[in-house]
Amino acid sequence: MNPAISTGGRRTLWVVFWFLVVFLYAPIVILIIFSFNNSEIVSFPWLGFTTRWYHEFVHEPALLSALKTSLLVATLTSIVATSLAIPAAIALVRRRFFAKGFVSGVMLAPLVIPLVVLGISLLILFNAVGVPLSPYTAVIGHVVIAMPFAILVMVPRLERIPAALEEASRDLGATAAQTFRMITFPLLVPALISAFLISFTISFDELVISSFLVGDQATFPVYLYSQLRLPERLPSVIAVAVVILVVSVIIVVASEAGRFISERRLEAQTGMAADDIGSLRAGKG
Amino acid sequence: MSDTMSDPTTAAISIRGVTKRFGEVTAVDDLSIDIREGEFLTLLGPSGCGKTTTMRMVAGFEEPDEGDILLRGEEVVGVPPNKRHVNMCFQNYALFPHMDVQQNIEYGLKLRKVGKEDRARKVEEMLSIVRLEGYEHRRPGQLSGGQQQRVALARALVNEPAALLLDEPLGALDVKLRKQMQLELKRIQHELATTFVYVTHDQEEALSMSDRIAVMNEGVVEHLGSPRDVYERPATPFVADFVGVLNAAELAVTSVDGDRAVLTINDKDHVVAPATGHDLAAGTMALVTVRPERIAITRGAAEANGGSRLSGTVAQVVYLGTLTQFHVETSAGKTFVVHQLSTEGSEAIDARDDVTLTWPVEDSAILRVGADATSP
Repeated sequence: MNPAISTGGRRTLWVVFWFLVVFLYAPIVILIIFSFNNSEIVSFPWLGFTTRWYHEFVHEPALLSALKTSLLVATLTSIVATSLAIPAAIALVRRRFFAKGFVSGVMLAPLVIPLVVLGISLLILFNAVGVPLSPYTAVIGHVVIAMPFAILVMVPRLERIPAALEEASRDLGATAAQTFRMITFPLLVPALISAFLISFTISFDELVISSFLVGDQATFPVYLYSQLRLPERLPSVIAVAVVILVVSVIIVVASEAGRFISERRLEAQTGMAADDIGSLRAGKG
Repeated sequence: MSDTMSDPTTAAISIRGVTKRFGEVTAVDDLSIDIREGEFLTLLGPSGCGKTTTMRMVAGFEEPDEGDILLRGEEVVGVPPNKRHVNMCFQNYALFPHMDVQQNIEYGLKLRKVGKEDRARKVEEMLSIVRLEGYEHRRPGQLSGGQQQRVALARALVNEPAALLLDEPLGALDVKLRKQMQLELKRIQHELATTFVYVTHDQEEALSMSDRIAVMNEGVVEHLGSPRDVYERPATPFVADFVGVLNAAELAVTSVDGDRAVLTINDKDHVVAPATGHDLAAGTMALVTVRPERIAITRGAAEANGGSRLSGTVAQVVYLGTLTQFHVETSAGKTFVVHQLSTEGSEAIDARDDVTLTWPVEDSAILRVGADATSP
């Protein structure tokens, strides 16, 4: 027991903790319950168990097409964001250059810029340049917001790969490109997978930027939002939300678990802490 | 340092007037060394003396601001590390964690497009030289520190480099393993007759393994010579101090008698030192030094027998196992350290005892002359 906290304090913390848990997860639990309620009105009383809302959405062509658009946008977004994040992360971790703090600020800025602002400014930009709106313009918007996350996932992994490994590879006769292909890239794979999955979920969930940029081919969140105007559609929208929720949770948990395990393995294998790596890079002596 | 400049055409590595600056700091300052084919040369110095930077410039990870580096007579400044025929053993081994021992060792051979069978044969040969037969398919994470060290050696040596560069390779090992690996390294170097350039801050390691030692300080080589030379005839006070414990005192020369100088302290005590190579006259100040193990310590009074004699009081006795160390406050005004084999006789001397220190003429050395001579 932590002696720094009194019994009364512990009790208070306990209550606050459970309040938070209920506050966060009760809506999700209710969502799951109502997706199986045999009633078109989303409220109690419980009128019996059904899976018809799930059957209904599977047979809804507009919904399936929106899903397809979202999958396309999310896949392209993850590929582009991850590919761009690799050189960005390498530059931030391995290179020393002028105004590095400023550059990293610029790269990570989309994290704090309101999505509405980003969406509108991109919309104005595309109109001004004359680019017609399509799922591809939405991809551009999503890459902007997903890339900071992809970079942030890769940086710590890269910091744990000793620069000496890359130097050893060069020393043994490999060019910079061969070194990336045979040493850096294989060791970076777990972080690449994480970055890919996180970019994917960000894009798949995204409503604001999509609604500005996607044009007339709605993505899935845009479609769901539009369906809220029709009360009779609500139960099947909820059913879809539950499916998405379950799939997202599985993907995120799996990717984080994978990253954690491989991180531990790398550490055990190189037997090196981050500060050793720093001193190696500085070329002590 | 007459042996700095040997014939560069026969040198494995020739470093000529190399300077390297990091911003305001000059890490290496107009450094010149010729490293002979097949020799074991150690760059010895405290951290920050430029020894690692020098090695990294030879390997190609840093480029000098001034000067030339030649590998077997060919200029390599500006050549990327992968095109230089030297290999390096990194401080923390830098084994590739996602490859097994065999893949690690054959990495360089693969890049040079050596055939599969040749690779396997060479890896096997190397593993037997470093005594790791049967470890081909282990991952680095499954090996002990000493074993990883051997793999790192094999991975570098399998490429038959013009020189092997070792950057404090034993730093991460415990003392016992380190001693063992020192002998192993020496054996391997002897077996393959490869030029080894070894970087360390451990003077014992340097003395026990090297053919020649370059003692570095603040970016320059202060002394380049054999271990015996560096230890017994250090060129500068820094070298003397860094390569072993050193007793030093600044005294006035009272007379010069042919090849020996006498520095009298009082009617009983004086230091006698070889005077050759120094411009000495009565009255000049000189920094005289003597190694702790050269001094004989006697309880009470003793005769100088033509050598040096200092009286003093024992301040502290430290038992070190084989040796016993005495800290003696001497009439020269400095505390001298004396090492004596721990025999029964050394037990007789205790703290606060009055003692006499004596040593022969040739064990004194005058390291610096002039009024500004301050002890190291």
